[in-house]
Amino acid sequence: MAQLMSPSPFAMEQIFNSISLGLIVLDAQQTVRMWNGWVERHTGIPANQAIGKHISEAFEELPSRAILNAITNTLNYGLPVVLSNALHRSPLPLFQRNEHEPEGEKIRIDQSITITPITAEYGERHCLIQISDSTTSIKREKILRTHSEALKREATTDSLTGIYNRRFFDEHYKMALGHAVRHSVPLSVFMVDIDYFKEYNDSYGHVAGDKALIQVAAALRKQLLRATDVLARFGGEEFILMLPNMAPDSAMLFAEKLRMAVWDLNIPHINSRICQRISVSIGFSNFYKHPDVDANSLLKCADAALYEAKKAGRNQSQYLPLQNFNISSTAPAGTLHKTASN
Amino acid sequence: MKKILIVDDSKVSRMVIRAHVKAVHPDWEFFEAASGEEAIKSVVENKPDFCTMDINMPGMLGTDAAEQILQTNPHIRIAIFSANVQDTMQNRATSIGTIFVAKPVTEKSITIVLNYFASGK
Amino acid sequence: MNSLTELHLDALSEVFNVGAGRAAASLSDIVGEEVRLSVPSVEIRKSSEIDVSSMGLQSERFGAVHQTFSGSFEAEAILLFTEEHALEIVRDMMGSQISLEDLAEFEQEAMCELGNIILNACLSAMADMLNIPLNCSLPDYSVATTEEIFRRVSDDLEQPYVLLLHIDLAIERRHSEGHLIFLLSSTSLKDLIIQLERFLGAV
Repeated sequence: MAQLMSPSPFAMEQIFNSISLGLIVLDAQQTVRMWNGWVERHTGIPANQAIGKHISEAFEELPSRAILNAITNTLNYGLPVVLSNALHRSPLPLFQRNEHEPEGEKIRIDQSITITPITAEYGERHCLIQISDSTTSIKREKILRTHSEALKREATTDSLTGIYNRRFFDEHYKMALGHAVRHSVPLSVFMVDIDYFKEYNDSYGHVAGDKALIQVAAALRKQLLRATDVLARFGGEEFILMLPNMAPDSAMLFAEKLRMAVWDLNIPHINSRICQRISVSIGFSNFYKHPDVDANSLLKCADAALYEAKKAGRNQSQYLPLQNFNISSTAPAGTLHKTASN
Repeated sequence: MKKILIVDDSKVSRMVIRAHVKAVHPDWEFFEAASGEEAIKSVVENKPDFCTMDINMPGMLGTDAAEQILQTNPHIRIAIFSANVQDTMQNRATSIGTIFVAKPVTEKSITIVLNYFASGK
Repeated sequence: MNSLTELHLDALSEVFNVGAGRAAASLSDIVGEEVRLSVPSVEIRKSSEIDVSSMGLQSERFGAVHQTFSGSFEAEAILLFTEEHALEIVRDMMGSQISLEDLAEFEQEAMCELGNIILNACLSAMADMLNIPLNCSLPDYSVATTEEIFRRVSDDLEQPYVLLLHIDLAIERRHSEGHLIFLLSSTSLKDLIIQLERFLGAV
């Protein structure tokens, strides 16, 4: 719990009364114990007049039934309650400050209220009512929300294609593999690389290249089935897929599905050395109860399989079994390198 | 010695109600039903004096079953014992000639039910 | 043994239905209409075994209200509605005159309150019937994709068990379905079983 360096009662009182949030504390009998400056200013009722009164009598009007019930529940069960402005316009009689028009009509403010249980000195349950003025906060909330969603996406998403980025993949791959090891379930990894992508950029330009990447990513993404399947952009023109719980025999079928999905996009590529459209090479491997597997071996194995696919003429899928894979003679995953295959 | 029919689709609920009632009236005879339809059949076969009835069960609503039972057996005292505590249900219960008691089943709520059963005399 | 029997699940079902009844009454007060809320099923699963088809969730995005508990019992509860349903529910709660823009503004707050009402009602029923008092946090609301939710559930090693409740909610004539998930640690599951045994043993 946060502590202040040297909380003088004087400082605390200042803070309590200048905070721009209404604060009321009630004891177990629902009697007012604390009533801060904000509440004074928005009711015209000074603290010394409110303290000691039952909450239903502290104001000039009766608070709403909803808030009175909520207070009772919080004190009985110790559960926090939210009274949203959406569903309760103004549960308490609180008004806009109108110093210049004392004769004018008092306008009730929109409120957002939370009621939380707090423990008092000798262990009795009290409750804290926090009130915030909702009128301008509504607009602010909207802005903040769109900002935070955007920030969340940035950290884990590839900005061009909208799919996950490598950072996301790395984190989740390790967890998924750990899970597969502990629970003895299969895990398949597919590396997909666009054939002759450099040539595509050279012929059609980088803007077209970007567009092609977006289309390929979308086509691959459509093939995902489960919530736990992950597709990420691994490199410039390289994608990686991780499918937990995929049986080894389904994996080949799936790889073909991926390849055909891109093939069916029919994106013209006149300088592809093997066909007239954009195609992909796929390398995949899977883990299933293999002893002593580390995160890198599976990836390197898939990468080696991808290399085989390229070597064998591209526009195809190749599988390399993990058990036959010799790690010692390979470079880190992501670089195409000659391997010692079976 | 009275006969009581306990109607609820939850086996646990029936167990709890039975246990609480038996603690006060160990000599009564107990019958159980898991739906409105079963309850109606049980009334014909066993002719209970009292009945507790849940509302939300598969098939017909408990309140509808209670209404039917009371049509042919107006002397049976029925307590609607339910988690569905809204006004609409409470009003319906009273309008058909039963009382409404809110769950959970506790010593307190059972006392209310038993008092209602006893007051018919 | 760390498993809940049929009878245990039946007892939990009763507890949650009492909670649902209370929540429905609170919602009814707010909406001014009859609200029907029930918990037709309660299941216990291992977090690692949860997947999309088991929850019958087809949608891409969900409104999720989240509250954490502590005290004698440690758990997290997530109340899930498809985003479509969440907006419909908010609209029903606020009155159908509301504009689409306003709806989006209020979604977060209103869903927080809805989640808070339902969760608190379930917790108060648990406290009353099973004698499990709890401290809990204020709720927070976010919109998440199916993937995000499942990752959240299945990646949590501290809480390997999931109590999965199906929820039926009907406001006015509109019917929505949601799910309530409680993520439990092994200790919490043991505690829950002990309390259920006590509850059943007393009958």
